[in-house]
Amino acid sequence: MSEQVHNRLAMVRAERKVSRQRLAEAVGAHYQTIGYIERGQYNPSLDLALKIANFFELPVEALFSLEPFRPLTDQVYGRNQ
Amino acid sequence: MTTSDHRPLTTYDRRMHRLMNRREAARFHATAARRRAWVVTHILLTVASEAAWLGAVVWEQRWATWTMLGLLLPWCFATGVINSSTRGLLELRVRALDERQRAERLRVAALAQRVMMWVLLAATVGAGVAALAGVEVEGLVFPVLFSVFVVHWIMPLWMAGLTARDEPDLDDDEDIAVEAAGAA
Repeated sequence: MSEQVHNRLAMVRAERKVSRQRLAEAVGAHYQTIGYIERGQYNPSLDLALKIANFFELPVEALFSLEPFRPLTDQVYGRNQ
Repeated sequence: MTTSDHRPLTTYDRRMHRLMNRREAARFHATAARRRAWVVTHILLTVASEAAWLGAVVWEQRWATWTMLGLLLPWCFATGVINSSTRGLLELRVRALDERQRAERLRVAALAQRVMMWVLLAATVGAGVAALAGVEVEGLVFPVLFSVFVVHWIMPLWMAGLTARDEPDLDDDEDIAVEAAGAA
């Protein structure tokens, strides 16, 4: 029933230098939950996904997608897959 | 927390949350094999403690009292390790859990309920077979009921321990470095 939701959370979190603990506290979740989301072992609710996107000031589709994300370098440099 | 229970956390909630999220015991339950071993140990300790309690109360054996007291500390320790492995999934109030933890708590309760159905079936069939075989079942009513009660009480903890996943703290060092870099 639960479809895999792909995410770029780990990458964005590392880029912004935010620890799991800090992100978890900011969005009212447990640090393990952030880790499970990053591993793809838990799909966040819309509520939590929006809170995470809001924390990073990004649109939610920049962080979560039903389709696998293209590598960032491909997107930046426009290489076709 | 992303929960429908918007009541603020009490001092007790915060203290329990801190307690359940302490990392000192993490190495005891870092792998699935270790968690299984702790659950098996807890089951054995529970069975032994229960037998000792029945020995002390029902059959009035003095040695059973001392056995029960001797088993109490290891039982509490094993309970603590399993609770630590689940980060207080069953110990914390719902308001102190996030959406994933609340979903896991419901899943564990459903799993425990299914397993308990088989335990109760076994107890019922066992009692029926014993009665048909001419065993005096009157004397067994209280011990069996007490045993089933204890199993029913602790089954969610065992299920939570058995189904807990590895903690996502493999890059703790990286996390700490990130935190430090952020603070600098």
